[in-house]
Amino acid sequence: MLEDRPILQLDQISKAFPGVKALDNVSFSVSSGEVRGLVGENGAGKSTLIKIITGAYTRDSGSMTFDDNEIVKNSPIISTAKGIYAVYQDVMVSPHLSVAENFFLGKQPKIGPFVNWRKMYRDARRFLERIGLDTDVRKTVGELSMAESEMVTIAKAIWGNPKLVIFDEPTAVLTKSETKVLFKIIKDLQNEGVAVVYISHNLEEVFEVCDTVTVLKDGALVGTYTTEELEDVEKLIPLMVGRTIEQMYYKRELEIGRELLRVDNLSGERFNDISFNVRAGEIVGLFGLIGAGRTEIARAIFGVDSLRKGMITLKGKQVKLKKPKDSLDNGVGYLPEDKRSQGIFPQQDIDFNINIINFEKVMKAGFISYRKAHAQARDYVNKLSIKISSIYQPLFELSGGNQQKVIIARWLCKNPDVLIFDEPTVGIDVGTKSEIYRLFGDITESGKGIILISSYLPELMGVSDRIYVISAGRLVAEVQKKDFSEERLLRFAMKNVVSTAKIEEAG
Amino acid sequence: MAGKRERKAFAERNLLIIVVVMWVFLAVATRGNFSSFANITNLLRQTSINGVVAIGMTLIIITAGIDLSVGSIVGLSGMVFALLTSTRGAIQMDMLPALVIALLAAAAVGLVSAIAVHDGKVPPFIATLGMMTLVRGLVMYVSGGRMVTGLPMEFRQFSALRILGMPALAWIWILLIILMLFVLKYTKFGRNLYAIGSNQEAARLSGINVRINMYSFYVVAAIFSGIAGLMLATRMAAGVPTGGSGYELDAIAAAVIGGASLMGGSGTVLGTALGAVIIQTMRNGGNLLGADPFIMQILIGALIVLAVFFDQYFKARKRLRVTRRASKEVDEK
Repeated sequence: MLEDRPILQLDQISKAFPGVKALDNVSFSVSSGEVRGLVGENGAGKSTLIKIITGAYTRDSGSMTFDDNEIVKNSPIISTAKGIYAVYQDVMVSPHLSVAENFFLGKQPKIGPFVNWRKMYRDARRFLERIGLDTDVRKTVGELSMAESEMVTIAKAIWGNPKLVIFDEPTAVLTKSETKVLFKIIKDLQNEGVAVVYISHNLEEVFEVCDTVTVLKDGALVGTYTTEELEDVEKLIPLMVGRTIEQMYYKRELEIGRELLRVDNLSGERFNDISFNVRAGEIVGLFGLIGAGRTEIARAIFGVDSLRKGMITLKGKQVKLKKPKDSLDNGVGYLPEDKRSQGIFPQQDIDFNINIINFEKVMKAGFISYRKAHAQARDYVNKLSIKISSIYQPLFELSGGNQQKVIIARWLCKNPDVLIFDEPTVGIDVGTKSEIYRLFGDITESGKGIILISSYLPELMGVSDRIYVISAGRLVAEVQKKDFSEERLLRFAMKNVVSTAKIEEAG
Repeated sequence: MAGKRERKAFAERNLLIIVVVMWVFLAVATRGNFSSFANITNLLRQTSINGVVAIGMTLIIITAGIDLSVGSIVGLSGMVFALLTSTRGAIQMDMLPALVIALLAAAAVGLVSAIAVHDGKVPPFIATLGMMTLVRGLVMYVSGGRMVTGLPMEFRQFSALRILGMPALAWIWILLIILMLFVLKYTKFGRNLYAIGSNQEAARLSGINVRINMYSFYVVAAIFSGIAGLMLATRMAAGVPTGGSGYELDAIAAAVIGGASLMGGSGTVLGTALGAVIIQTMRNGGNLLGADPFIMQILIGALIVLAVFFDQYFKARKRLRVTRRASKEVDEK
């Protein structure tokens, strides 16, 4: 099979985003009738690679050949027309239309000028039966369950007679029986000579359905292996990790002080029974795969989302944090993961963005003293060496790294006892990253505690004193600094991935 | 070193230049008729009622919303006051409590809109469209669709009152502008308005109580319309059931010409005031020049679109410059 001429050939693809190199000279090819696994840690470049294949992103350099034609200009419309289909959740189907209409979108069968609904429903039903689904084709996609609509999305991709189908984490929302149907669909595609790319964090699944596996790490190609030569899932993990920890992870050795924050048996929307603590001078890491529930835990502690159960203790005093204001008043701060939509006030200037939670400190007789407010903003701009032309620049004019520094400045000025950083270095250049780690040192040295949420293991291991691993909403391990290893942490993080599918099926 | 104070002043300075150019042109073209003290103070009085409504509208537009109910609130507060105080009516209340009740009625409408928008997640356009129709119907119902005259003498005379040569109505407008300039800049209420308008989720995560603040913005905006309604009632010496119809559009126009963005987060009271003056100058000046008022309406319509067009054009150019600079920085690394 592998000796065939590849249907898709990517050569030396590179793609950079402001401050990061997402893909670095990656070559990748798939043959007709091959099922290729694509694995790597969060941020390894899998999604970027897929988006370049479908044309959602434009490559910076490199060439792409599909079906013996060089593709110079690409877009999702062009790639679909050529027979490349990617199954992303919910993006390919319209929730307001029926399942059948979704299949026939733009190509409805007609009698004269009118839509032939009977034929549409009949053809759609037959098609679904053939691939092993019994979904009601008259229902709108919005009425279906998550898993059903995922299956319909997959069915729609196949409906278009594709030459290459890309599955991106298809089983995340599927139950076990549906997963079985999916694997059968993939086998059928393979027999019909369709090329398949299969992305998943669930390595067992990858081994079950794929002939070959490509491993990416930090935007670079590690290699492509047949499942026979790998023999075992265990052999894949070392390929995905294993970096030398660089000097940039600046870490101060500090005396660990008293307990600042303790949470007991927290349960909420997407997590259960979480207990941990943070002490003065300590950086505590929270690790887990994307969607494991780390952000949800942070939001619940900060009072954004409600808790079902559990107890929060701050400096030995039990507190109820029902809204962000309570957390601010009690000395807890949170820098959200998606700073663009949740952290910044883009049209407002730097002065405003730093002072918005710190006006109390510069009030005079109940009114803002701008002389003091400007001085306060300038003071923190200098402390964090934020590169700007003036504090009156609107925030949208700054680079991502400087925007992040402005948000950090906002919180340093507020000076809470415990600061939660949610993916603080995503999309930020290396120089700014190391400055942020240095600031972590300043914060902890002043007797404060940090909770660091990060998907990037070298960073987490470089700066944390302890790491808690969250998997599928549960705390599965607490790892001390001396026991840090990428392999060990990743293993813990993947621990519950299989069992959740079982839980969902049972429920 | 393009500071915000400079840049913001830039937008407002442009508007000021437009006003000055228009006024100089009209002064010359009308051989001084336009620039007479009588006409200028008259123009400010004509602007004042829309000007006050537009201040409230600016608050709502900064929240990324829109308030279509302001015109109906103008009608409501005037009518409530007239019904309570009319010497021909049954109640014949004193002026002061009647003023308070009229403004409370206005505030209540704002509160209902705010609850619908914030808690009910009804889009502001729809929520206030509903309130606009509902409140107008209410005004028609309580008045039987008839004017209510017989307002107290002092109240009727107020519109003719001049202080330092300037009509009292214009003074009210100017004082409210100064008050709100101060409130928006120097109080947390004002800063919260811009924070919620530029990014509601970020505001919430910054510990700002979005609900209470949204309620206050809508209530304050409605009270401004209520004040405008009372100003209209003293001008007309009556409660007029159709009073304030169409005012929402003039107020939106003033705010938009004044640089407020419907995307939220930007807009100033001073810009809106200048926007209101520009619209009224076109009407007043056109009238003095003997221009067809329909032609002036066409021009005002064109001005609204052009004002936003140029604003977007310059912003797009600026964004392009910024992204080019950013990508150059990455390349250099």
